[in-house]
Amino acid sequence: KMAAGSSGGPGAPCRHHAQLGACESRAKYREGWRPRAVKVYTINLESRYLLIQGVPALGVMKELVEQFALYGAIEEYHALDEYPAEQFTEVYLIKFQKLQCARVAKKKMDERSFFGSLLHVCYAPEFETVQETREKLQDRRKYIAKATNQRDCFVLKKVEGPKKTLSKNSEHDCPWSTSGSSVASSWDPSCFTGSPGVSHNSAYPSGNQNQSLLTSPRYDNSCAEISGYFGQNTSLTPSVHPGGHTPPASLMQQRMVPACNGIDRFMPRTTHLQERKRKREEGNKFSLIGTSEDNTEVVIGPQLPEIPKVDMDDESLNTSATLIRNKLKEVADSVSTSVEKPESSSAKRLVKQRRRI
Amino acid sequence: MELGRLEYLQALVTEFQVTDSTGNKRRCSLALCVSSVSSHTRPFSLAEAKEQVLANLANFAYDPSNYEYLRQLQVLDLFLDMLTEDNETLVEFAMGGLCNLCLDKTNKEYILEANGVEPIINCLSSSNEETVVSAVTTLMFLTTTQSRAQTTALPVVECMLRFSLSANARLSNLASIFLQDYCSPPQVEEARNLSKHTAVGIPLPKD
Repeated sequence: KMAAGSSGGPGAPCRHHAQLGACESRAKYREGWRPRAVKVYTINLESRYLLIQGVPALGVMKELVEQFALYGAIEEYHALDEYPAEQFTEVYLIKFQKLQCARVAKKKMDERSFFGSLLHVCYAPEFETVQETREKLQDRRKYIAKATNQRDCFVLKKVEGPKKTLSKNSEHDCPWSTSGSSVASSWDPSCFTGSPGVSHNSAYPSGNQNQSLLTSPRYDNSCAEISGYFGQNTSLTPSVHPGGHTPPASLMQQRMVPACNGIDRFMPRTTHLQERKRKREEGNKFSLIGTSEDNTEVVIGPQLPEIPKVDMDDESLNTSATLIRNKLKEVADSVSTSVEKPESSSAKRLVKQRRRI
Repeated sequence: MELGRLEYLQALVTEFQVTDSTGNKRRCSLALCVSSVSSHTRPFSLAEAKEQVLANLANFAYDPSNYEYLRQLQVLDLFLDMLTEDNETLVEFAMGGLCNLCLDKTNKEYILEANGVEPIINCLSSSNEETVVSAVTTLMFLTTTQSRAQTTALPVVECMLRFSLSANARLSNLASIFLQDYCSPPQVEEARNLSKHTAVGIPLPKD
């Protein structure tokens, strides 16, 4: 009766790999130049694993991986020979170290021309191990807890994570693994409820607080772009990072704080007006040259999509639009402030020099 | 962006009928769907409009900064109500939306208060893969000391046992995590015994 399964293990074509028919009925102003299907993204659909179809069979694996590595450190990659592919194309699997890097890479590389062929990039969560799925859900839990300032979690038993969770600098620090003393070794269920500031908070290492705040926006697209950029610095060539460390970059974290409130994700994922216009202008020259343009974009700072200021002839729509616009402006302003500082100090130095003359 | 397109815009306010807890039908207006009447667009049905609006809301629900706004718009109620729709797509999107926002404490409490667990458990028997997968995750996220009697009830655990043997990796992974992290060994054992004793093909003795 339950027909939700698909036959075959990982590698078999799954329904969520299929490109949905483009949505023809969407409002023109939301469409951009590229038709997008109607889809809901949940934590189950997203994954560090990306499936890439439509790679021309020209022996370009190295170039392909280099292209994707620009968005973040890659843990694994290989061709999927068993996966059905169109004639003269190949299918690859690329595993990113971080989910947000996979997210950005998918967004940017999907429907991109690569050596004359159109790539189709999608998530491949079916390749995850149970532990990887577990960690993915845990990360999501932690992110929500931090983003909403809550510490409500259900702990049935002490969850054994990988050894690295015990190190201070690790992003994978699990809240309930550090509160070991309050979790019984048997499966005694304990639930931490109530507002922050109650006893369970003390179990959470205080040294982690800043770290947590800085890493919490990593689900934000613009943050992911920055981290992807720094990811590029640490691994220009595809390399395996066994165990995976967080790139040291305290600089990265500083830049992430002002820019990322997750605000720009208020826009539905199917609407990326400015982004599509930019891509349209890049066109086919992307495959070999386009990356430098991406780098430039990232260096300047997270570019939030411009919202056309339009009276939509409806009060509540306009209210929503104004709300979005103001918040985006707020975020954009705080970013430009942090960027301007080094410039103003150099200007002062210049003035002093003139006086001497 | 070609602003000229917007002169063809016609705001379409999609109204969902929502039945509140006292059994009264009330209108929930969602002024989020905008349609174009230009010749490029083929006419679409209200069902499609609803799907688009719901999909957008479900995607909004991924971002915690939207939660207050979504609560004000009573979107949580909308998601719960859509779970009993005939349209499979609406159920899928609504279930995805719930999965996205149920980790937030306020949302969690709201859903539990509104007896949301029951329709979510019913989604476990859907033939839509995404719906089922979202339902499994949502049940995990909704499990608290108070709610676990419901979210890990015997029929649910038994269902998860079956799922954990599925060839569908996503489903079996999630079901395994459910069994390992949210159920006690006695619970799993009880469910296992239940399936063993289900007499297949053997008629029960008549008294």
